[in-house]
Amino acid sequence: MKINNLTREDVFRTLVTSEQGLNEEEAKRRLAEFGRNEITRVKSRSLVLRLLGQFTHFLAILLWIASGLSFLSEYLHPGEGMFTLGAAIVAVIVINAIFTFIQEYRAEKALEALKKLLPFNVAVIRSEKEITSPAEFIVPGDLVRLAEGDKVPADLRLIEANGLKVNNASLTGESKPVLRRTEPAEGDPINSPNIAFAGTTIVSGNGLGVVYATGMRTEFGRIALLTGTVTPGLSPLQKQIVRATRVVAIIAAVIGLFFFALGFVIGRDFWNNFIFAIGITVALIPEGMLPTVTLALAMGSQRMAKRKALMKTLTSVETLGSVTVICTDKTGTLTQNKMAVAKLWFDDELIEPGAAMTGETSRLLLTTAALCNNARFAGDEYRGDPTETALLKAAHDALGAITAQRLFEVPFDADRKMMTTVNVMDNKTLAFSKGAMEKLLPLCSHILVNGKRLPLEDVNRDDVVHADHVLMDMGLRVLAFASKELESREMTGEAGERVEEDMTFLGLIALQDPPRPEVPEAIGKCHDAGIRIIMITGDGSRTAVAIARQIGLVHETPVIIDGPAFSLMTDQELTEKLAAPEIIFSRMTPKHKMRVVSLLKDNGEVVAVTGDGVNDAPALKKADIGISMGITGTDVAKEASVMVLLDDNFATIVNAVEEGRTVYENIKKFLTYIFASNIPEAVPYLAYILFPIPLPLTIMQILAVDLGTDMLPALALGSEKPTSGIMKQPPRKLNERLLDFPLMARAYLFLGPIEAIACMFGFFWVLRAGGWHWGTLLPARDLLYMQATTACLTAIIITQIANVFACRSYRESLFSIGFFTNRLIFAGIAVELLLQLFIVYHPWGNEIFSTAPISGGTWLMLAPFAVFLLFAEEARKLIVKKRVLV
Amino acid sequence: MYKKVLAAVNEHLNSEVSARYALYLAKEANAGITFCSIAENGLADKGFRLAEEAVKRLSNRARELGVKADCVLETGTPLKQITKIVDAEGIDIVFAATRREDVEKRFFARTVARGLSLSLHCSVALVRVVNMGRIHPREILVPVKEHIDHIPERSYFASMLAKSFGSKIHLFHTTKPLKKFFHGETYLTPLEWERNIPPDISRFIGHLDQYNVEHEKRLASGMTGKSIAIEAAARRRDLIIMGASERGFFNLLLKGNPVEYVLRETPCNLIILRPEQ
Repeated sequence: MKINNLTREDVFRTLVTSEQGLNEEEAKRRLAEFGRNEITRVKSRSLVLRLLGQFTHFLAILLWIASGLSFLSEYLHPGEGMFTLGAAIVAVIVINAIFTFIQEYRAEKALEALKKLLPFNVAVIRSEKEITSPAEFIVPGDLVRLAEGDKVPADLRLIEANGLKVNNASLTGESKPVLRRTEPAEGDPINSPNIAFAGTTIVSGNGLGVVYATGMRTEFGRIALLTGTVTPGLSPLQKQIVRATRVVAIIAAVIGLFFFALGFVIGRDFWNNFIFAIGITVALIPEGMLPTVTLALAMGSQRMAKRKALMKTLTSVETLGSVTVICTDKTGTLTQNKMAVAKLWFDDELIEPGAAMTGETSRLLLTTAALCNNARFAGDEYRGDPTETALLKAAHDALGAITAQRLFEVPFDADRKMMTTVNVMDNKTLAFSKGAMEKLLPLCSHILVNGKRLPLEDVNRDDVVHADHVLMDMGLRVLAFASKELESREMTGEAGERVEEDMTFLGLIALQDPPRPEVPEAIGKCHDAGIRIIMITGDGSRTAVAIARQIGLVHETPVIIDGPAFSLMTDQELTEKLAAPEIIFSRMTPKHKMRVVSLLKDNGEVVAVTGDGVNDAPALKKADIGISMGITGTDVAKEASVMVLLDDNFATIVNAVEEGRTVYENIKKFLTYIFASNIPEAVPYLAYILFPIPLPLTIMQILAVDLGTDMLPALALGSEKPTSGIMKQPPRKLNERLLDFPLMARAYLFLGPIEAIACMFGFFWVLRAGGWHWGTLLPARDLLYMQATTACLTAIIITQIANVFACRSYRESLFSIGFFTNRLIFAGIAVELLLQLFIVYHPWGNEIFSTAPISGGTWLMLAPFAVFLLFAEEARKLIVKKRVLV
Repeated sequence: MYKKVLAAVNEHLNSEVSARYALYLAKEANAGITFCSIAENGLADKGFRLAEEAVKRLSNRARELGVKADCVLETGTPLKQITKIVDAEGIDIVFAATRREDVEKRFFARTVARGLSLSLHCSVALVRVVNMGRIHPREILVPVKEHIDHIPERSYFASMLAKSFGSKIHLFHTTKPLKKFFHGETYLTPLEWERNIPPDISRFIGHLDQYNVEHEKRLASGMTGKSIAIEAAARRRDLIIMGASERGFFNLLLKGNPVEYVLRETPCNLIILRPEQ
């Protein structure tokens, strides 16, 4: 038994209140027990702790250790620039932490938008007197007076209702006002006509209700709780970065330990050995990885915005690329939400709307369509619900203006699925009804055929049902129409639904919401890309399937799940159904979406879901990618989503998926680029440990590469255009690694060694030219030594320039993708060269990085290594491509 | 199992609502019920009268339901008086409502609820009333841990309440993610869990089957308290029945307490059962 099942007396008894309302003392007592009627944020980690969390995740800890070791090194062995390195790493941690924190903080404003839907003041009856009270102070048992225009402050069981109509759009997504009553009703409160829910609006009439739930315990609060607590978990990229950092940490630590042990074997002293082990460990940690990934995502997000997909969180940019299922609404997303009359059926004939309609049946059918209608023609445009405006327009086009005096209306509600108006026209009082065929036809006793009112026989019923099915199979939304001439006793509103008996059936009007023209191609792209699309619509199954066929969403016989059946299915049954390749959910409401999303996620799918209503917010939060509608979406949905479609168009989602995939591919490209330079940074240390030579590359010079010269070319790789086959591949598997073996092998075993040879060549070339002899150790400020390390650094820069071109693709030849197709690469290289010129030739650069100017000839000596790297890569690509083709 | 039920009633509405749960449990268990109102010294007459009226209403309802009921209306210290009655009358279970101010205190320190829970020599059901619209719960959420103590009593309690309201029980278990160094957190799928249900949960299910109570089970992963609140809200459960937390002080301090979280954030009414020690 629930509150909606009770009689008025039982409601008072259960809530221990009366028609006089609570007294102030009792209200105060209840306020202390139940708390304020307000939407509150669920207690979660404080902002300080969340900010702290950004400094304590694994990569941050790794970087802290690296900076700590650098400071320790500086303390033990001053003058090597280790302090600057430590400080730079701290700066990287801080910038990353603040950037990520701001991103997360910005994403949590959905609750603020929800709060705006509740009223500030409310009329309450306390101790028999009506007073105005702040809405936050009302309590269970309070009697709340409702009038037109009011926002409902809490969940109320109605005990008085005078033509009370409520707009439940914020809860159900259905914008049509629904009539409220006071009689006990079966079933659950959520579907009950004697309940008014918090956050909904009174459209007309007035009433009185008893509060039974307040604040976060209302239906509205339930949405707020879910919106505030449900999280999709780590994005695939975040998981991969966690894994990648752990792999890198292990590699760095193992190599550091290896050098430490090697130093011991060779007989170096402990502290020198320790310092260089730290140096090489720090060199192998890619300090620039996180900022580069973040900036690449930001650039991806900008590109998406240009394609009308606004991304609110950066990590979601890449998540889009791994989406395996898109759950999408139909109306407005797949279709244009521009309703128009497409067919009429009367006198046993199917007629186009433009055809001449002169008979009595068509006249009465269109008159009913115009008068049983709440849309208006104001000025030069139709205003109202899209279905009703389409009907009014069709009637006006065929019959011109129709005038009649409306006496009263029996409004539409979701259970009855029909509405009736009673009008005086040509001195006759007529009832006009429209609604779902299955609801209206049983109320008819006659049918109008060629202007004659005939008894409705079984054969006529079969014809109507058949016509209804034919129209729905065309993907049309079908409405049935009936009328009746009334006697005087039926001419008041008190007659209510009695006027809907013994009616004359007039015909059917079918409306079409045409699909968006770009949708079929977008759906084709999704099919090629291995992405399943699940349509979730409030329409009936026949209409849904017909539309799905028109846009190429289904080709076989799809699995169809109706809203009522959905509610009765167990999770296991639903999970089995959800595995089907083609599936459509019909007659669904937004409240069902979160369950669909949860089950798909439990099954390992990466889910994107669209939504526009307040009630969509939990599903939008739960999904990996919540997508809201920029034009028709509520503020709550927009705040709860991570992506806003600025044009409400399904095709934009697919474009964004393509961008997401591109971002992931580009991240792999620049990771190859960044990781390749780790080898020429590490090899000099290895040489220094193994052979009696000066250190070929200092820590500060490593830093110049990692956080300086490498950054912009890496970012330029992040803006590479999608490769041609990117939407022909299946979605990336969740367990596919960002740092997989091919990437590591290419960076560490192929590109890196070439760069290492170049840098060691440069170092020894300058030393030999300066008269250095094998085994001679040079002081740190020796000019020849500084020139040699500068040549070593320059070799890395030069080969990295070739590397950036090599990394533009994994398989395709640079010459086939076009040398000049990414202009940012050239800008990146220009900045890289300017930085290097500063480091090599400017006194400040020399001072900071312990470098000295080198001759132009040295640059020329190093250039062939870059050419060699580029052609070696071309050869590798050729072999890889041939292997794939075989 | 329960032959004598006691429901503590005071001037607050939530105590009356929690006593209604006690009444339905007594009806199903064929037990007698005592509505007990102990007015604290210094309580205004109005408060005493309100409690008295509540007891009257409850007694009338008990009569309608055919449950043998008696009333105790006294003054004194509630904790002491109730302890005395429990010992003297051989009460099997006491129902008491938690107050909102209790919920806001960490570990319920210095609250009547904690006092009752610690000092009574019988089972205690602490009821948190937040929604007055779901009078007879149809969907009861019963979160279960991997290791469950007092399985016979817990399953009996949940079954009796479910039977008295004709409700379905939804067993809910949250698992901790399996942490792997290179793969991060991985989660058990519901199917994997079904294949390897912890023995205590199987025993609990066996007891529910014995009582012929309709039930289904669900698995989720994540923080326990938060997952329970989300499950109750997302699936519109009418009532949650949880076991009292038995974590040590330091464990509570470090990991928090799921019961505390659910008490604060529950979207529906909640009963916390502490079985007889």
